[in-house]
Amino acid sequence: MTAPLFDVQNVTLRFGGVVSLNNVSLHQNPGEILAVIGPNGAGKTSLFNSLTGVYQPQEGSITFNGAKGALSVIGKKPHRVNAAGVARTFQASRMFSAMTAFENVKIGAESHKGIGVLGAMVRGPSTRRHDRETDERTWSLLRFVGLEQQANVLSASLNYGARRRLEIARGLATNPSVLLLDEPAAGTNPAEKIELTTLIRRVRDEMGVSILLIEHDMKLVMSLAERLYVLNFGSVIAEGTPDEIRANPAVVEAYLGSTDTGTTQGAQ
Amino acid sequence: MGGFINYFSSHFVTLGHEFWPLLVGGLATGFIYSMVAIGYTMVYGVLRLINFAHSEVFMSGGFASFFLTKWLVGSGTPSAWQSVLYVVLGVLVGGLAGAAIAAGIERVAYRPLRRRKAPKLAYLISAIGASYFLFNLAAKEFGRINFAMSPPFANHALFTFANAPVQMLDILTLVVGLLMLFGLDRLVSKSKLGRSIRAVAQDAETASLMGVNIDRTIAVTFLLGGFLGGAAGYLFGLKFGVVYTMGFTPALKAFTAAVLGGIGNLRGALIGGLLLGVVESMSVAFVNGAFTDVVSFAVLVLVLLVRPTGILGESLGRAA
Amino acid sequence: MKFLQSPTAKRWGSLIALYAVVTVMTGPPGNQSSPTLGFTSSFTETVSFFGLFPAPRGVFFAGLFALVIGFMWLVRWSRGTKIGQLRTAVTVATLDFYREAAERRFARTGFYLVALVIAIALPHVVTDPFWQQAMVSQIAIYVLLAIGLNVVVGFAGLLDLGFVAFYAIGAYTTAWITGALPAAAPFHHHLNPFWAIPIAIVFVMIAGVLLGLPTLRLRGDYLAIVTLGFGEIVTIFLNNLYTITGGSTGSNQIPHFSIHLGALKYAWGLDPVPYYYLTLGFVVVFLFAFSALEHSRVGRSWVAIREDEIAAESVGINPLKYKVIAFAIGAASAGFAGVITGGQSLFINPTTFTLSFSINILVLVIFGGMGSIIGVVIGSLIIQSLSMYLIHAQPVGFQNSDLYIYLGALLIAMMIFRPAGIWPSKRRRREVANVENGLAPDLGNSSQLRNGEQP
Repeated sequence: MTAPLFDVQNVTLRFGGVVSLNNVSLHQNPGEILAVIGPNGAGKTSLFNSLTGVYQPQEGSITFNGAKGALSVIGKKPHRVNAAGVARTFQASRMFSAMTAFENVKIGAESHKGIGVLGAMVRGPSTRRHDRETDERTWSLLRFVGLEQQANVLSASLNYGARRRLEIARGLATNPSVLLLDEPAAGTNPAEKIELTTLIRRVRDEMGVSILLIEHDMKLVMSLAERLYVLNFGSVIAEGTPDEIRANPAVVEAYLGSTDTGTTQGAQ
Repeated sequence: MGGFINYFSSHFVTLGHEFWPLLVGGLATGFIYSMVAIGYTMVYGVLRLINFAHSEVFMSGGFASFFLTKWLVGSGTPSAWQSVLYVVLGVLVGGLAGAAIAAGIERVAYRPLRRRKAPKLAYLISAIGASYFLFNLAAKEFGRINFAMSPPFANHALFTFANAPVQMLDILTLVVGLLMLFGLDRLVSKSKLGRSIRAVAQDAETASLMGVNIDRTIAVTFLLGGFLGGAAGYLFGLKFGVVYTMGFTPALKAFTAAVLGGIGNLRGALIGGLLLGVVESMSVAFVNGAFTDVVSFAVLVLVLLVRPTGILGESLGRAA
Repeated sequence: MKFLQSPTAKRWGSLIALYAVVTVMTGPPGNQSSPTLGFTSSFTETVSFFGLFPAPRGVFFAGLFALVIGFMWLVRWSRGTKIGQLRTAVTVATLDFYREAAERRFARTGFYLVALVIAIALPHVVTDPFWQQAMVSQIAIYVLLAIGLNVVVGFAGLLDLGFVAFYAIGAYTTAWITGALPAAAPFHHHLNPFWAIPIAIVFVMIAGVLLGLPTLRLRGDYLAIVTLGFGEIVTIFLNNLYTITGGSTGSNQIPHFSIHLGALKYAWGLDPVPYYYLTLGFVVVFLFAFSALEHSRVGRSWVAIREDEIAAESVGINPLKYKVIAFAIGAASAGFAGVITGGQSLFINPTTFTLSFSINILVLVIFGGMGSIIGVVIGSLIIQSLSMYLIHAQPVGFQNSDLYIYLGALLIAMMIFRPAGIWPSKRRRREVANVENGLAPDLGNSSQLRNGEQP
């Protein structure tokens, strides 16, 4: 039994009086496409932020077992977590808008290389070699997500779908073991959604990178995910395969409200 | 090690002897810091930016009230009633000058940037430009010497508290400071104007959707902060005289006070100012005069590193 | 009352205000006994053009403004376009054309070579001793400092207002190791100032890292204030630690540079021209190094951090590390400049190392173009030459600090009309345009999203 990629134990995250994550435990197996779903405000993005070192939960533990060994995530800075092998995208795509698509990805590709400041100023042969290698890698990633035609376009000018794919390419450039996708399909049209699904599967199948995604689009999630966790009000209320989740009454209630009150909450 | 303990204990003894005078003096200076800190804290509340040029608001109040006092008092000795009148006028004119300069700075250095949605860095740079423009202009137009204010009243010790002589000037500073800070607090918490300021501080976009005139509210915020800052310039000038560089150090300390108390928080400005004034005053017992500035700076760095939200916490849009 | 709020009234109001400010700014100084003298005489004092047409300054400037407005109106009218802001006219008048041309590689290299040749030939063309001295100590050194500050402010986006402290440390370290300070020199045999270079660099970088590590986590405006405070503290120490730093008298015994390396023997002396060439050499080296840095992974990381620190962290960039690197490099450049100043000046004392000095360098960077190496060099040359000219010409009543009236106004004007500088880097222009058009939120240097804080 190999160690889980993510081993989250009893994590509680509080902001002042608000409990964002309540005793959440989950795990992700290597090579899995895992999804976290739940109504708005359920704590999904907070979970992502905790998994990447942006938030520091007050209780519990998060262990990441990547290609470079085990890392206890809580208390580590985000760049350190990324170096261990965790990449992510953001709900509202965070591009380096004054950079081209190429430069955005290249930044990711070179962030862990060891070119020092002196090397950068002198530009010796090893620096130039590193640069060439990074360039090649960047091109191959752009081709992988289908953006090589727009490599020199400013990322601010890219359309929604292209920006999503660029973020994925940038994340992949950091050589991760897992890619966290925060609502990758938000704002995309049905054609783009199909492309996205294919791309995500290719990331796992061809690049061997596990996927952990947050999504509201049920169709996309159910067709893509191999296993799901359902969050509501910061707690895990269900876990299982798509079929199990679909049949789970607690999940239905969380999304649609109970039949007595007839209130609707959350998404879709 | 023994020498070290000796050093500190001897200084503590000095502190003990001088405690009350230092405390009173510190409180008076603290009120001045509070009045200037209000300007920083209010502008931060509505614009989320540090008004670097606020030091010149302080200076303008000092100079305006200096010229007024010179004209009123000349070289004569005013009667008791005249003294009161002159002081009231001094505070008023100092405040008005400060308000005018503050509003001017907002209009010239900040508003065009707001129109263009400029990045935060641009405001800071523009403020620096405004500050340098103003105090060097003052130097050119008014001269570079330190002008002593013709005293509108005889500044003798009013009474002694413990063994500390409490000067008229300190009492005046305390009274004026309290009145203005109290008045402002009432204004911000109770009036419609105050409500619009707090609304803009919390969420400018929603406030404008609710019908609040953002430009006017921001201008008023500058006016209010400027009035207190200018009046503080008068009080400071009475004690230390006015000079074109007078804004620099007190404003930096007032900023420290604002951060110490909690930036954006009006009562925090009061607490921070008083606390800083007293700490600074007490530190005279330990370090050489010039190094008290280092003490204030150390306080600033410590607060920013350890508790950047200040004592009372950042509270944008609330009076407390 | 309504009229006063109309756009026309506002425009005329701004114009009249601008006219008044310019007239007073450039006018005769005031007088200690009368608060209004300076203001009124700015308008009433008579000026004449080449000895002809004497007129009160107020009238003269009104005429000047009328001419400029008329010219701009003519330009607009002839273009047939709608009324734009003053800004459009200013942009039209700038060097955009030359910049586009310069972006072509061949033209660029040619341009650099020509500039280098001119720079080398300059001391032989300009023989006035004042100007030769100024070329070294005011222009070349300032260019060096501006390039260094550009790395901190322009590349990394950190507003360092205490930059002068590093310059001071460089100069004073030189004095110290050459035995020119009251504090005992570390080596018995008083060293040649050249050896000050590595030692000063080490000291200055330690200071930079020590200052940077705790403070570079702070938000932009707080960082500015803290660095300002640091600069002031250093000045206080320099002024008051008489037994170490010589207090307000400083040091006046620093020996000139000299090299004794086998066949290479050269001694600098009082003649400023060799110092000019020494500084020019350093400038060229720095230009190459910093240009390479800009286009390296380090440079790109700085851009990423400036644009969106959180996104940068998520791809593995450690913001603190890169900010400290920028700080250290900037400090090192200032240290270099300080060493040269130490060797060249007859004396050094705390009055040189003031906050105003930091602001002066900042103006050079802002005016030239934050993050644009060429821009900063051009901007420094223009501003410092003009400043030197004013100081040399000493118009009646002019005091050196009056310079800051102009520099301050320039900063405001640049932020309003041309925030990316007169010769902006391509990238910076894009960034400014993005923020203004709402395409990118102003996220650089924001505090981390730690536990619920809002950006």
